[in-house]
Amino acid sequence: MTTSTPTAEPGPGAGTPTASLLDVDGLRIAATAGARHSIVDGVSFAVAPGECVGVVGESGSGKSLAVRAVTGLLPDGVTVTGGTVSLGGQDVLGLGPRARGALRGRRVALLMQDPFTMLHPQLTCGRQIADGLREEEHPRRGRAARAARRAEVVRRLAEVGLPAEIADRYPHELSGGMLQRAATAAALAADPDLLIADEPTTALDSANQAAVLALLGRLRHERAMGLVLITHDLRVAFSSCDRIYVLYAGSVLEHGPAGDVQAAPQHPYTAALLASEPSVFRRKDPLPSIPGSVPPPGSRGAGCPFAVRCAHVAAECRTAPLTLAAPPAGAPGADRRRTACARIGALTALPGAAGEDTGDAGPRQAREERTAGAPHAGPRRSDAALVVEGVGRRFGTGADAGHQALSDVSLTVPAGEITALVGRSGSGKTTLARIAIGLETFDSGTVRSGPVELRAGGRPGPADRRRLAAHTQIVFQDPYASLSPLRTVGATLREALAAARRNGLAVDGDRDQAVLALLDQVGLPAHYADRRPAALSGGERQRVAVARALAARPRLLICDEAVAALDVSVQAQILGLLAELRRSQNFAVLFITHDLAVVRQIADRVAVLSRGRVVEEGTTAEVLDHPRHEETRRLLAAVPEREVAD
Amino acid sequence: MTDHPTAAGPADRTGTTARRPRPRIRPLTAAGAAVAVLLLAAAAFGQSLLPGWDAQDIAAGARMPGGGHLLGTDALGRDIAEMTIAGARSTLTGAALVALGSMLIGNVLGLLAGYLGGWTDMLVRRWADLLLAVPALLVTLVVAGIGGGGYALAVCALMVLTSPSDIRLVRTAVREQRHLPYVEAAETLGLPRRTVMLRHIWPNTLPVAVANTLLNFAGSVVALSSLSFLGLGVPPGAPDWGRMLAENRDLLYTNPSAALAPAVLIVLSAVVLNHLGDRVLEVFSKRGNA
Amino acid sequence: MNRGPLPLRYVLTRVGGTLVLLFVLSVAVFALLRIAPGDPARTLLGQRGATPQALAAVRARYHLDSPFAAQYLHWLGGVLHLDLGTSIRTGAPVSATIGGRLALTGQLVGLGLAVALLLGIPGGILTALRRYRATDRAVQTAGLVALSTPAFAGGLVLIYLFSLMLRWFPAYGPGQGGGDRLHHLVLPAVTLALSVTAVLLKLTRAAVIRELAKEHVVFARARGVPERRILVDYVLRGALVPVLTGVGLVVAYLLAGTVLVEQVFALPGLGSLLVESVTYRDVPLVQAEALFIATLVVLAGLVTDLAQPLIDPRLRPARTGKGNAR
Repeated sequence: MTTSTPTAEPGPGAGTPTASLLDVDGLRIAATAGARHSIVDGVSFAVAPGECVGVVGESGSGKSLAVRAVTGLLPDGVTVTGGTVSLGGQDVLGLGPRARGALRGRRVALLMQDPFTMLHPQLTCGRQIADGLREEEHPRRGRAARAARRAEVVRRLAEVGLPAEIADRYPHELSGGMLQRAATAAALAADPDLLIADEPTTALDSANQAAVLALLGRLRHERAMGLVLITHDLRVAFSSCDRIYVLYAGSVLEHGPAGDVQAAPQHPYTAALLASEPSVFRRKDPLPSIPGSVPPPGSRGAGCPFAVRCAHVAAECRTAPLTLAAPPAGAPGADRRRTACARIGALTALPGAAGEDTGDAGPRQAREERTAGAPHAGPRRSDAALVVEGVGRRFGTGADAGHQALSDVSLTVPAGEITALVGRSGSGKTTLARIAIGLETFDSGTVRSGPVELRAGGRPGPADRRRLAAHTQIVFQDPYASLSPLRTVGATLREALAAARRNGLAVDGDRDQAVLALLDQVGLPAHYADRRPAALSGGERQRVAVARALAARPRLLICDEAVAALDVSVQAQILGLLAELRRSQNFAVLFITHDLAVVRQIADRVAVLSRGRVVEEGTTAEVLDHPRHEETRRLLAAVPEREVAD
Repeated sequence: MTDHPTAAGPADRTGTTARRPRPRIRPLTAAGAAVAVLLLAAAAFGQSLLPGWDAQDIAAGARMPGGGHLLGTDALGRDIAEMTIAGARSTLTGAALVALGSMLIGNVLGLLAGYLGGWTDMLVRRWADLLLAVPALLVTLVVAGIGGGGYALAVCALMVLTSPSDIRLVRTAVREQRHLPYVEAAETLGLPRRTVMLRHIWPNTLPVAVANTLLNFAGSVVALSSLSFLGLGVPPGAPDWGRMLAENRDLLYTNPSAALAPAVLIVLSAVVLNHLGDRVLEVFSKRGNA
Repeated sequence: MNRGPLPLRYVLTRVGGTLVLLFVLSVAVFALLRIAPGDPARTLLGQRGATPQALAAVRARYHLDSPFAAQYLHWLGGVLHLDLGTSIRTGAPVSATIGGRLALTGQLVGLGLAVALLLGIPGGILTALRRYRATDRAVQTAGLVALSTPAFAGGLVLIYLFSLMLRWFPAYGPGQGGGDRLHHLVLPAVTLALSVTAVLLKLTRAAVIRELAKEHVVFARARGVPERRILVDYVLRGALVPVLTGVGLVVAYLLAGTVLVEQVFALPGLGSLLVESVTYRDVPLVQAEALFIATLVVLAGLVTDLAQPLIDPRLRPARTGKGNAR
């Protein structure tokens, strides 16, 4: 630690092992195109050799850019405008592009999010691993050298747990989990001192997620390598990292040892974020959420960027410059922690992950009570919102092997209840949702969506589609593609209302009033009717999508991973909104998700889908607390959340 | 990653909530648009404003610029400047018809193929592939020449032969939108498929179609003037850039502007239209990434 | 399972598709006789006296009284034996007429393609690497002008500059002998290549820029792969398939261009032959030429199709033992 630091902040690495591997101090990053918005406002962090540091934050926090700046691989239109970055004591921002290029691979390497685009599709995995090997140790020319390189590639594959024949495979021949392993081997080919992993598990399903996290942890120990894990997922960060930096809107709001931060956050933002994270172990009632959304670059005021959303805000928060200081002496690990909250001394203890439940009669008992709203007996078929019986669906025909997406699936969604359908990617859950709403055909079996009987082998006709529309609606995963980019929110909702009226819904009163009523229902102000989707945040778009679906007053709402693309705090808002709307309008919900914590939070019943079959079904408490099927147990084991002892 | 529906997690879409700045109009693009307007005005009103464009004066034939003739005269003593302005009509209107007709064919077939899929899609695709496999200029030359239909036949043939690029483009754009959640949401509202196709998908494919129409316009200027250079298409006596060039190329020594003036205007029209098309495409592809 | 780089099924479907395409095109070419106004027999007689005997002879020779399909089969049978009929205008056998003009046009197209490849592809790579800078803007502007210039206008300007003003190259004619022929073909080949170069330039630039923006390029940089190897092995490899497809399409452009270029430079090749035959409604000759050109274009397409799986492993059949994804 040789960098001079401001007096207000006794060094980001204070209290960490000496001889820092990476030191970032006061880093500023701004957009160069158009208006020069500041994206990262003076971020400092440090990584010691062999240490795993988590950088967590919601979208728009600048976490990815701040860490990528270390590698010199910022995207076009974004540039470093201040601060220092030193790798192993060497200042790197002053270096020329060639010298910085020479550092990549050996000093620092970057592993990215999407295994399907990270590797070149026309080169074998082995070739791409070999391309990164240090040439002085593994020369390229000569027959003997080539054989040695090949042996080295096989050794590297073995290191990440892949067999030797993967060397000759092309990326499109491998699964996501295998690809992420191969990419890890490629990233480590030149034996870097520091590996930066940017959301390395976000594109993987939970089982692969756990495996890749375990692999990264093992490699860090074996190689005594520094590891920076950038993630939006608090559970991932807390389960794998030694220390955590919490970023919000371009600033570090808090940092410290992972366990201490999780148990006793020293910033209201961290506390609120932890509280709004659903838990797989118990339902939070209600699930706290943070109002509003992350301010975009260019619209951040002075003072604490979180002030506008903070429940503990005071006048000083909006004016005092942001400084990291040690928390009050009573906080766990206070000497190794820093918080940016100016009022932390004045606040009484903020709730940690153990949360507000501590006064309860004990988690298990509370859990039983809270999910007891669902009848324990099997659902009655007569008043069911959706009945699926013996449905099969096969994709791909002819000489291709084809893929049996669903085989003999039966499922009943009782009226007025929330039924979750869980499974890993490829289990067929989205296919089933699309069949239920007539977007996908099926080969065999019967589907009765309320009053509409869907037939196997064909799309529903116009009359059936209208009756189906009056009964069943859907909210999709991607809020950014859910709304027509050219239409205002009002136009989208007016069209939905007009369609509902044509489909037989008696709508009384003025249509504009009805639009405002819909907006109000989903918690959006009236003037949003004139906005286009581009002017809305992800959470706001998802609210509009919910409003559009509710225009038809459906009896069944299908949510296809409807909260999966949202930030934790926004996800909590939408989950709360859905629960509240379900209570007031008493429709049934088929909730498709991969996230068991979300299931625990929202669902009355749950069905587990594996390779196109329903393998387990029951009330949420039954299935999550006493899983009977292997697949359910596997899904539960892969959840990165650690149960906090209370 | 569309094949990973559970790819959870928010991508860092920094700044999506801020209004994007409007794309700046470059001076060059503005100049191009102005030239395009002038050329189209010449095509529309040139012959009415210059009723004497074909006045002959053999005695004053093949003169260099000067003496009341801004660009000199051709072998028959006609004023090159006036003829060039009058000649805008046949090339530009023909090319505009080709581009617009092709856009119409392309939008109808592309929309149907992209949205309906299945057999419709297969047939339309085969048709487009077939037309794309043959050189448009040669086919038009042969069909118009053998068929003896002149200008109208040439324009129609070129229209059909230009349409595959529009068909493919619109079809691809429709297929990109086809399974986007906002389109499927419109379907699940129970809206008629026609409404979904015309009111939801089509408007979002328009920018590429407009850009491609401008590019096709430019290409058709080149193709139509090539045909009239070869003596096909334009009826005898009508002013036309390609024909002027063919007739006046022997005057390169005596009055080069007789051949160069129409050549320059052909190139200028095509450059301006190509540039505008490229710009539209650029602006909208940037906006699409927003 | 076939694991070779060129899977048999792929080859068979492509070749089959090409044959179907050729069949359709040959029917269209044959139907040309029908779109000519008036009695086909009179069209085939041309300027000669249309005596009843002569008309009857032509009807018998071309089986004009049989159904369309039978006429077509007779014609196709002749084509397959290289019997393409006789020219209406000269009375000479069509195959001999075409054969006599083939060499000149072949040389012209070959030279033009070479110019276009040598200028267009490196230019596209260069502009992509220097994108949005001065070099890129300058080359792109030049490309825009080249794309917008019809071959006859471009040829005229080149003649004016390099023949009349500078006197470097001859303006007209095919020249005699190897060296002289090359000297005579420089301006025509450059003229022919102008628009094609622009097309290749645009296409290559777009393909390389697309590749440069790929995640795998960032990842290659992020793990220290040398910059030169990233350019050659990652970026250019990825751009190869679209560029190759473009080269296949460009053959049609080049053949169409010869019509104009040969007219401007007074070259007695296939292009000027086509213009003459069309003007005289010399239907047998036009049919033969159209069929010849269609075959060339379709074969060029087939070659590029077959080359693709050699370059891109994703187009080859997947091997067994694929991971459990999806």
